[in-house]
Amino acid sequence: MAEPSRGLQISRRGWLMAGLFAPLFPARAADSLIVTFDGDNLHISSLGVHFLQGKSLNRLKDGSTVEYVATVGLFRDQFASQFKRTESHFFVSYDVLGTGDVFAVSTPGPPLRRATNLSLSAAETWCFERIGVATTGLARDQQFWLQLELRTVPPKLDSILGPRGIHVDLLDVLIPGSDEKQIFRWGPKRLEDFVVTRQRGRAG
Amino acid sequence: MKCVWLGSLFLAGLLAASPQDSDNNVNARYTVETVILSGKGWTTDLQSETTNKISTGLLHDLTSLIGHKLNPSHLDSLAQSLKKELSAREVIHRIVRGDVPEEVRVEFEVRPARAGLAMNVNQFLYNSKQGFSGSGEAALTTGPQVFALGLVSNADWLPERFSGIVARYEDRSVGTDRLSFKFEAETFHTQWNQATTAAMSTNPLDVPDLYRARQAFQPTATVVLFRPLTLTVGARIERFEGQGPAGPITAADAAIADLHYHQTLEGAGTQQDFDADCSLHSATRTLNTDYVYSLRTAGVRYQYRHGKQVILENAWGGYISGLAPLSDRFVLGNAEYLRGWNKYEIDPLGGNRVISNSVEYHYGPLQAFYDMGAIWDESQPIVARHSVGLGLRESVFSLAVAIPIRAGHVEPIFMMGILP
Repeated sequence: MAEPSRGLQISRRGWLMAGLFAPLFPARAADSLIVTFDGDNLHISSLGVHFLQGKSLNRLKDGSTVEYVATVGLFRDQFASQFKRTESHFFVSYDVLGTGDVFAVSTPGPPLRRATNLSLSAAETWCFERIGVATTGLARDQQFWLQLELRTVPPKLDSILGPRGIHVDLLDVLIPGSDEKQIFRWGPKRLEDFVVTRQRGRAG
Repeated sequence: MKCVWLGSLFLAGLLAASPQDSDNNVNARYTVETVILSGKGWTTDLQSETTNKISTGLLHDLTSLIGHKLNPSHLDSLAQSLKKELSAREVIHRIVRGDVPEEVRVEFEVRPARAGLAMNVNQFLYNSKQGFSGSGEAALTTGPQVFALGLVSNADWLPERFSGIVARYEDRSVGTDRLSFKFEAETFHTQWNQATTAAMSTNPLDVPDLYRARQAFQPTATVVLFRPLTLTVGARIERFEGQGPAGPITAADAAIADLHYHQTLEGAGTQQDFDADCSLHSATRTLNTDYVYSLRTAGVRYQYRHGKQVILENAWGGYISGLAPLSDRFVLGNAEYLRGWNKYEIDPLGGNRVISNSVEYHYGPLQAFYDMGAIWDESQPIVARHSVGLGLRESVFSLAVAIPIRAGHVEPIFMMGILP
């Protein structure tokens, strides 16, 4: 009996390449997103989606501000033709003198919105409540796909000005600090498939 | 003039650039108790200690955090400055709980670099009388060792415009942090101003000939005698190719000694920096040199900083005995000394006696200065000259207009660019 891989015409080299490159495309399965519709906008639930983690969480706990960018895109087909896109920015910080995990979140104004004394999950939920994409122009029976991209903005490099002139660190230019990125994909769906709800972004 | 306007716009852009918003960080309400620097095998608490590992300016920026509300976004730029100055691989900053409620400590952890590669532009200057000058280099750093290769074209420092290549090897820690070694090699092509060639043809003084190119090698060792006093000793071996295709080659080989003192005093909201140095270049027959001379210089520099205000006093003098090559003769009327005067008008061949004094006042980026100086040759009368100027200075970018004080017409000189 032939090995399954041979039957599918996938060579060992193919499996190896797939294994090597898989981490470069961290798109998550469609099931991990919960999307709701309030009659005008699509909202994404924070349930099962965590972005306050990894290196960015360490930076937060060291007292830095971390900027997160959430980009929601709607596609007519399977993530090839995008017809709507919204981008939301969030500044998250961690109270180093707080009791337990105490986060603060704000959005760039205007209007400036801010929340403090939030737990980790509450901070994530607060952000998700502000992520939405308008469905104007989208017919109720039109099929669409949704993609959510969450990424951190790497700390800004200092100006290249130094006490002895202009200084450019070529290693920083050639090997820039990587940002953390997660991509979630969901669909296909139609607006008529949704039960209209007022709930926005809340987990559970 | 177009360059001056462009420079003004660029500086205005720099001045108008707003700092990052620190209100986004919840820790901005806390007061900084202390700042701690740490690296491999060393830690410095800036509340109670000082360090000479970093420049005075950066040390001042770090210590000025203490006692004030935290500005987390400013920490990123301070970490980058530390990374640059210490040639570190990475500098991480952390905010941790202090001893007192509502106070935090800022910790900078310096991770040493295994290797680094950088491009530096050390000078880029436009002078409305002397044109452009610039120098830049690519530097490879491995631990305490630096290899650098650079290009220079400079019409500001010397009586000549010299253009060419410089190479440098530096070991900042030869067995101990108190001893460093540097080897520099230079090869320059020289261009002479018409005023210089005209002065040479009618020169009644004993001034050496012009040359078309020169090469130099300069090995030096610097030892910290006792902090903050350092002594540099070494040699400068220089060859000059005479004018014309078969011009004679002459040598100027000199022993070098330089003593430098630097002291910083800090008070409540104030900082005073005092620098003094004296140097001796001695080219004697025993070194088998064509030029036999000795060059002595001495200078003091004092800077007082209080908030946005800075007062700076810089006095310097020099004396050459014997016959020194033109590249070693003194110059006034450049971007540093007696600004506003044209060096080719004052003394196109340079002088072998010089005295200079400069007083500057800065308020934020605004700058005003008064320079005076005299340059002459032995047996010539001493003529003191004065100039005043106004300008803007932000970081290393400078834009200034300087006016020589003299009877008759007013002819200002514009200077702008990168001036470390």
